[in-house]
Amino acid sequence: MIIETAKLNLYYGKFQALKNINLQIKRNLITGIIGPSGCGKSTLLRVFNRMNDLIENVRITGSVFFDKEDIYSPLYDIIMLRKRIGMVFQRPNAFPLSVFDNIAYGPRVWGMNDKMVLNEIVERSLTAVDLFNDLKDRLKTSALALSAEKQQRLCIARLLAVEPEVLLMDEPCSALDPIATGKIEELMQELKKRYTIIIVTHNMQQAARIADEVGFMLLGELIEFDSAKKIFTNPRDKRTFDYISGRFG
Amino acid sequence: MDRHFDEELRGVKERLIEMAGMVENSIKDALTALKNKDTESAKKIRNLDHKIDKYEIDIEDMCVELIARHQPVGSDLRFLVGVIKMNNDLERMGDHAVNIADMVKYIEEGAPMNKITTIWSMADIVNEMLKDSVKSFIESDPLRAQKVCERDNTVDDMRNEVIRLLLTYMIEQPKTVNTAISYLLVAKNLERIADLSTNICEDVIYIAQARVIKHHAEERK
Repeated sequence: MIIETAKLNLYYGKFQALKNINLQIKRNLITGIIGPSGCGKSTLLRVFNRMNDLIENVRITGSVFFDKEDIYSPLYDIIMLRKRIGMVFQRPNAFPLSVFDNIAYGPRVWGMNDKMVLNEIVERSLTAVDLFNDLKDRLKTSALALSAEKQQRLCIARLLAVEPEVLLMDEPCSALDPIATGKIEELMQELKKRYTIIIVTHNMQQAARIADEVGFMLLGELIEFDSAKKIFTNPRDKRTFDYISGRFG
Repeated sequence: MDRHFDEELRGVKERLIEMAGMVENSIKDALTALKNKDTESAKKIRNLDHKIDKYEIDIEDMCVELIARHQPVGSDLRFLVGVIKMNNDLERMGDHAVNIADMVKYIEEGAPMNKITTIWSMADIVNEMLKDSVKSFIESDPLRAQKVCERDNTVDDMRNEVIRLLLTYMIEQPKTVNTAISYLLVAKNLERIADLSTNICEDVIYIAQARVIKHHAEERK
């Protein structure tokens, strides 16, 4: 178990967005979080690297353990947490810098200025997302000149550069066409050998294709959490079945 | 919320029920032709089988299209997978009816084993098993399906009894061998129909409860 929540509640002011979430994320698996808009799945994802801290009026009760440590304890190092648990967003958010500088950004923030080491990190990170051969002669060009899919790959490479353990992905393919989506999904299958991935997705078929375990959320509650096989062939809860089969009114 | 997809699933179900009705009739007619040594009726069974084969192709095609277009999950997926298997089983039953009808011409008038009642009792049970298996599918009734599966052993015992009786005739009166072998094949075909009815019931249980009971899978866990 790499991440575990216990009796987790989250409030935006008076509105309760997460209700008594008890969840266990296993290492080196892809965990999919599915559910209709507004069910709290992105909020849950942001709990894992304390991104919700940036929003005003957020109150959290209960515990979230990462590697058996409570990440909401007052002494927890949030900067280190966000290095170990990186995040990919819906739209690729490449910095308006060169390909090289995008990847080297994180390691530089962490104090790495050795050119040789940075070269090596850039090559390793781009290779991991299968971009190196394509971009090795264009490392100085602007990242914003790349296609959306390549920018999204670059954003993943930028995370890998600081050697995280968990990758949080919030609808990482929603801005991509089906071919690009397929390529990112292939990449996720490769990445899970070394990292733990938690993906929030609207796309049920995507969850069915790539997730090992799936959680279904509704109105802030985790209704069901099980293997993808169980969820998609024999869900326990009628609400899960109604949602995954498109019956949700 | 009722989806358009639900209507299409109902369409598949109705088509399979129609096919099952044809298979039931085909088996009944084959047995009646055998009883009455009616070679003309026996020929009609073969024509009906061509119709059953066409249903099989159509139903499979419908299921494949629905899977491709709707990517079903949960009980919708189990339903379509179950129907594809039942479809296949029903088509095989149609073939067994043809096999039984083909035996009619080899049965000699007045052969002593024409009086073996076990084979007709076996036929009655097999007909009932098929009827109940189809009913369990129509009503999505796993309890009824379970009861059909329990009757399969009885049919196996009756087949063994028929074989024993026929062997006795063949040893004692070698000139009856032709007719005896025909009855033996009828018993074999009936026993296969019972097995296939059991398969249908296993699929009804799988669709309704996601339980796999075939090959004693649950006991082996």
